[in-house]
Amino acid sequence: MGGMRFSFVTFLCAFVTLVLASPAAAQVPGNTRHIAIELIAETDTPAAGSEVALAFASVPEPGWHGYWKNPGDAGIETTLDWTLPQGVTAGPLDYPVPQRLLIAGLMNYVYEGPFAQFATLKIPAGLAPGTRLPVRVKSDYLVCTDEICVPESAQLETVLTIGDGAIAPARRARFDRWRAALPKPLGSEATYQVAEGGFRLAVPFPAEAAAIDAYFFPASAGTVNFAAPQAVTRSGDLLLIETAASGAGGPPIDGVLSVGGGRGLSLRAVPGIVAAGPEHAAEIDWASALLALGGALLGGLILNIMPCVFPILSLKALSLARGGIDEDTARGEARAYTAGVILTCVALGAVLLALRAAGASAGWAFQLQDPRAILILLLLTTAIAFNLAGLFELSAPGAINRAAASGSRGGTGGAFATGALAAFIATPCTGPFMGVALGAALVLPWPLALGIFAGLGLGLALPFLLLGYVPALRRRLPRPGAWMDRFRKALSVPMFLTALALAWVLGRQAGVDGMTLGLGAALIVAVGLWWMGRRQARGAQRAWVPSAAAALLALGAVMLVEREPAAAAPMLAANAQPFTQAKLDQLRGEGRPIFAYFTADWCITCKVNEKSAIETADVAKAFADGEVQVLVGDWTDGDPALGRFIEQHNRAGVPLYLWYEPGEPGPRILPQLLTKAMLTDLPGR
Amino acid sequence: MTKLIWIGAAALALAVPGTAQQTTGQKAGNFKLTDVDGRTVALSDFAGKTVVLEWHNPGCPFVQKHYGGGNMQKTQAAARAQGAVWLTINSGAPGKQGHMSGAEAKALMAEQKAEPTRYLLDPRGVVGKGYAAKTTPHLYVIDGRGTLVYQGGIDDKPTADQADIAGARNHVLAALGEMRAGKPISVAETRPYGCSVKYAG
Repeated sequence: MGGMRFSFVTFLCAFVTLVLASPAAAQVPGNTRHIAIELIAETDTPAAGSEVALAFASVPEPGWHGYWKNPGDAGIETTLDWTLPQGVTAGPLDYPVPQRLLIAGLMNYVYEGPFAQFATLKIPAGLAPGTRLPVRVKSDYLVCTDEICVPESAQLETVLTIGDGAIAPARRARFDRWRAALPKPLGSEATYQVAEGGFRLAVPFPAEAAAIDAYFFPASAGTVNFAAPQAVTRSGDLLLIETAASGAGGPPIDGVLSVGGGRGLSLRAVPGIVAAGPEHAAEIDWASALLALGGALLGGLILNIMPCVFPILSLKALSLARGGIDEDTARGEARAYTAGVILTCVALGAVLLALRAAGASAGWAFQLQDPRAILILLLLTTAIAFNLAGLFELSAPGAINRAAASGSRGGTGGAFATGALAAFIATPCTGPFMGVALGAALVLPWPLALGIFAGLGLGLALPFLLLGYVPALRRRLPRPGAWMDRFRKALSVPMFLTALALAWVLGRQAGVDGMTLGLGAALIVAVGLWWMGRRQARGAQRAWVPSAAAALLALGAVMLVEREPAAAAPMLAANAQPFTQAKLDQLRGEGRPIFAYFTADWCITCKVNEKSAIETADVAKAFADGEVQVLVGDWTDGDPALGRFIEQHNRAGVPLYLWYEPGEPGPRILPQLLTKAMLTDLPGR
Repeated sequence: MTKLIWIGAAALALAVPGTAQQTTGQKAGNFKLTDVDGRTVALSDFAGKTVVLEWHNPGCPFVQKHYGGGNMQKTQAAARAQGAVWLTINSGAPGKQGHMSGAEAKALMAEQKAEPTRYLLDPRGVVGKGYAAKTTPHLYVIDGRGTLVYQGGIDDKPTADQADIAGARNHVLAALGEMRAGKPISVAETRPYGCSVKYAG
């Protein structure tokens, strides 16, 4: 009976809430907002005297973007107008790491996909459990496409009830995901200098920490020219950003350093002396540029024996070798072919660079970190290897054959077209051989980068260029014959090795399951190609049908493969274990002294402490003698559980050093700068 | 190597528009544009007079805020009453929001009772980029000696809400007033607000 009454009351409450809520929903102005915003509290039942995070979970319509705190050259920051119960206060709005969007020379700092801003509410102490706290906020913000801008206003509300502060696991997971996108405090101070219209920023950043496509987002105007490109160099434990200044500088400036993968670090820079890009750094750039150029040349050369280029090339080469062509024609054709190849390569490279400049932050190396890209390359190289081995023949589509044939009739126009075609067709094959060189090209200044793409083209054109200019070579060109077949089959061995290497990479990225899936997909492709080869041998119509079906099936596998969660295997001090709350509780229960430290790859203070104090032999011995258990929390990826633990100790970020003495109720917080003596003194006191 | 980097940087500077910029306190760059009647207008035509430049895009909600509420017209009238020249410039590229032909712009100005001295068309964005005009509206004040004395927003309330005009500080009128009183400009540079200028490319 009691249960029935309870459910009736619940029903009544729900009904009343619905009736009350519907007019409010109907009041939403226009109902055609371009960003859908939901106001969500981390807990609906916060405890009195606590803080509760509110998320503005926002989803822009496709093609639309919202703005960061500093919107860039144009745009508006979000403003909030709170209506809060007596005693409740709201903190400032925290923004996730933004993206760049350059439109017609104007830089915008934006969010093009779903994002969540945060605000923290302070709940006063002394409220009775069950007290209702209605929270209302009017958010004014700007939302734009590339073409038009619309200022919008959203009236948002939620109701909190004083309770025990419990957080539902599903909601905690959502908040953890959003929090991961917030910039983490760098901890150490950066330095900047404005000189001769240039802005130089030096950020302490460990040499071994990864920074992909680093970019400094200044929090306010009057510091840097937003639209100017930023040159990034690294010299030891310093990351140097050089760009054009706007304004004279003077006061400290705040901003966010984005380090790739949506991660960012909030930092403050004070005025000081920042040396211009160090000469030795420039030399390293030069060396890597030369190395990349050499790699590109070699890569282009190797492309000549790729099955997608080989047929076209051999047609051209043999047309020259047949003789009856005078010196001038041969040279002219060689030049035209070379021009075609190089221009196409440079054009393709320019498109790639333009895409990046337009704000697409993914570089070549970044793509190779995606197991799906690796799997596609694995399937491609497997198919190429089987083709070289003679399992099936690659019959080029009609258009290509015709173009190549027109080229073989001579004429520089035809040679140019053949070159362009060869370069165009060769590009999908660049992956495994060119990864390094292309990766270097993407981080170099663009004139050098285009040089590398030109180098790729030159490498590809080189054999034909030599044939054109050295008549002796043309005479030495072997007659087509059975040897070509043997040569081709031999080439399948390195190709299979490439496939093997890719399978290994796939295994590293997606685990044994992912690798098995990939090899299974390769098997399906192989069977399909074998069948196709049999049909080709019989001269069947549409011989390619089974292989196409197999390819579709294999691509299904691509959809399935997933990145394995990165295994937490950081470099640990002797006998150290990864930190978890459970592990800490267990060890404290055992009554052991514990040294817990929290670090991140990008935290220079942490690295200095680790090298100079924590990871030294003296400290290891002292800890071993005192039976100290060391726990390490790696906050590089902004693990939210660690973040909450760090926050509980009144720190916004790393480093954090804790010493748990058996018998004491809480930990002792050690200073942020450690010395060996400080640590060796800890046990046995 | 350093030389190469500088050559690269110079090439980049040429390739990236919007890097040109007028410095407050220095001579404003001269320009020539065509007005809605097809007449050529140069900044140097107004030597000796105070000139206000206003970047305009009728489709932008922030421009609509100031024209819809009559604020921009009032500011124009007040400036011209003080003997200043008001040049409204449209740098919207053809096909982009806010681009207008001369006739369209003329009709719009009449309909909105706007009173710029001239309405100038800059469809290729040459003058806009030369002044690093970033938003609509974006305002510049040039004194009788040709010195740029103010650049930035029209006022200090960066919203699209007409209700905010009443309590805002009109930076342009304030600068004109201070100039007339022979005082230095107290706020010489602010961050402009509004929609981005719809340049070509």
